[in-house]
Amino acid sequence: MANANHPTSASGRAPSERGVIARFAAAYGQEIVIFFAMIALFVIVTAINPRFISPENLNTIFSGNAYIAVAAIGMAMIIITGHIDVSVGALIGVLATISGTLAVSGYPVWVALIVPVFVGMAVNAVIGVMVAYARIPSIVVTLGMLSILRGGLITVTGGAWISGLPPEFLIAQAKPLGVPAPIYFMVALTLLAAFWMRYSEFGRSLYAIGGNPEAARASGIPIERRTVMVFVIHGAFAGLATMLFATQLQVIQSTVPPNLELTVITAAVIGGVSILGGTGTVIGSTLAAILFAAIGSALIFTNVSAYWLRAVIGVLILVTVMADMIRRNRQGRA
Amino acid sequence: MKKVLLASLVSLSLSASFVHAQSAYTGGDDLPTNPLACDGAAGEVASKPYDGGEPTNAPDRKGKTINVVDVPKLVGIGYFNATSKGIADAAKEMGTMEAKTDGPTKANIDDQITLIDNYITSGVDGILFAANDPVAIAPVLKKALAAGINVVGYDANAEPDARQWFVNQAEFNGIAKSVIDSLAAEIGKDGSFAIVTSTFTTPNQARWIAEMAAYQAKCYPDMKWLETVEAQEDNILSFNQANTLINKYGPELKGIVGMTSVATPAAADAVTQAGKCGSIAVVGLATPNAMKPYVSSDCVKSVVLWNPVDLGYAAAYVLRAAADGDLKAGATSVKAGKLGELKVINGSEILLGSPFVFTKDNINNFDF
Repeated sequence: MANANHPTSASGRAPSERGVIARFAAAYGQEIVIFFAMIALFVIVTAINPRFISPENLNTIFSGNAYIAVAAIGMAMIIITGHIDVSVGALIGVLATISGTLAVSGYPVWVALIVPVFVGMAVNAVIGVMVAYARIPSIVVTLGMLSILRGGLITVTGGAWISGLPPEFLIAQAKPLGVPAPIYFMVALTLLAAFWMRYSEFGRSLYAIGGNPEAARASGIPIERRTVMVFVIHGAFAGLATMLFATQLQVIQSTVPPNLELTVITAAVIGGVSILGGTGTVIGSTLAAILFAAIGSALIFTNVSAYWLRAVIGVLILVTVMADMIRRNRQGRA
Repeated sequence: MKKVLLASLVSLSLSASFVHAQSAYTGGDDLPTNPLACDGAAGEVASKPYDGGEPTNAPDRKGKTINVVDVPKLVGIGYFNATSKGIADAAKEMGTMEAKTDGPTKANIDDQITLIDNYITSGVDGILFAANDPVAIAPVLKKALAAGINVVGYDANAEPDARQWFVNQAEFNGIAKSVIDSLAAEIGKDGSFAIVTSTFTTPNQARWIAEMAAYQAKCYPDMKWLETVEAQEDNILSFNQANTLINKYGPELKGIVGMTSVATPAAADAVTQAGKCGSIAVVGLATPNAMKPYVSSDCVKSVVLWNPVDLGYAAAYVLRAAADGDLKAGATSVKAGKLGELKVINGSEILLGSPFVFTKDNINNFDF
């Protein structure tokens, strides 16, 4: 690497001294940025209104977007591999309806919770096969799937809400040790996925596929099989996200939050996953999902119009993508 | 270095926005409000000449079977399923109307315009609509009028000259009075409350909020309007926003008003899960099915709405009367089947009646 281009070389520190820190910073650059942005946000807002860091509000912030964070884990893997999925929001809507329907039809709660995971895997296996073997761009396949799922959902449910859910089905309302269950889900799944992505051969191969498919193929990675697999895993995360989404309230709507897929993709991208594939971590996407919730809450606590939420997230996207481009250019020159 | 720069940029842009702190949002438009009398005396109806549009060279449709398409804001939600049922009921009762409902799967004005445009091309006799945007929908509706199609709106209006008649589910000041009266009955005449709505620019919600503010200022001046927050049509976001309000205001918050069928049950769930049923009242506009769990658990005492089945039913009858030539400019009322005579207001609107308050005693009679 040409040292003249390295940002820290100007500080004149010895190479050994900056070794660990620099490597950590290089690997988790975006995650560190988000972490400090979040700290800054908490400090500022708490100074304005101390109730912001009351235990209740911390629970609200950390559990509020947990289902988005879980879905963004799978999305991060998809984007790292060089693909995209715009159908995940509609999929979560369909899975929530399946889950709720099973629960009110008298099936055991665990069946109602686990079936969506398998259905999500099956739906995404279809997407994966079309992307990997039929070589149709993932944006096209998932756009098609988005229409199929959304249209199918409306046709099947006729728009009826599901209510009368059994209390034991509502697992997202549980609070073991005073902490909402979605937080445990989010943290455990994020750590698990982060370790797997970093240390398993499979996880590392996804970066290789997204970063440089030709080189990955040359080194013997079975790209097609891995692509199908990563879509299937993403489907499983959509099913896990549904477990939280469908069990938070006593009623299940047959419509999904508007632009849910975009929120999930945005969390991954702001979390440092390069939209061009090859880099990023699931820790970043989870931090970004929490950051959105924290910003939303902060705007209320500081009496700022919610219009700013969209503007702030828009700024974050642009800054992140620009930083990514700059990073790539520098690496290209080095 | 860049990272630090980035972090400071982000926090700077955030803290810059804090400077613009503002008072509670109480309505997004600048239209005048018209609060009703506190004691429930009937509101004044100012007479106004007909300001709707006319179809060009419409064929004589009197007594003939007409083909009607209903384009709601979106399909797949309980509310528009109910209006659609009302339209189907009326069509069946008349026997001279073929009606079908076709709308976008999201409340998206562009999709809605495309749909209506397709139906103009394919040829229909009548269009019923609930607009996602009153201004943006106007050109395509005028095109329908120019093609000789009868056009009647319900639920959400378009600019008056873009349609013939609009069936008004309840006047904004009527709904506002019902909501604020119900709220005052539960939290007292000096209680503090907050609002969860969809977006500040949704026309119906913006008007209701403006009228609620006017009526509250006039009839309950000691009540305190703490804050209005947006939650899109997103159930989990509505739940999070309601939670944040509860966390922010603590015991000061005595009531939450939900402005949509998505926000009201989510707010009720937030209050339930926070263990605040009884200390924080939830009042709101919502469909009865969504509210049944909360009403039956006594966490929610009053849900304000009109009967959307009646709304669709009335819209179908108004369209029939307009197509037959029985409902013309200057009319003061129109016959709408089992609903009887409905009043013409504001020049070219038909008023459905007073709002309906769902309570534990009657909510199980409704299924939408």
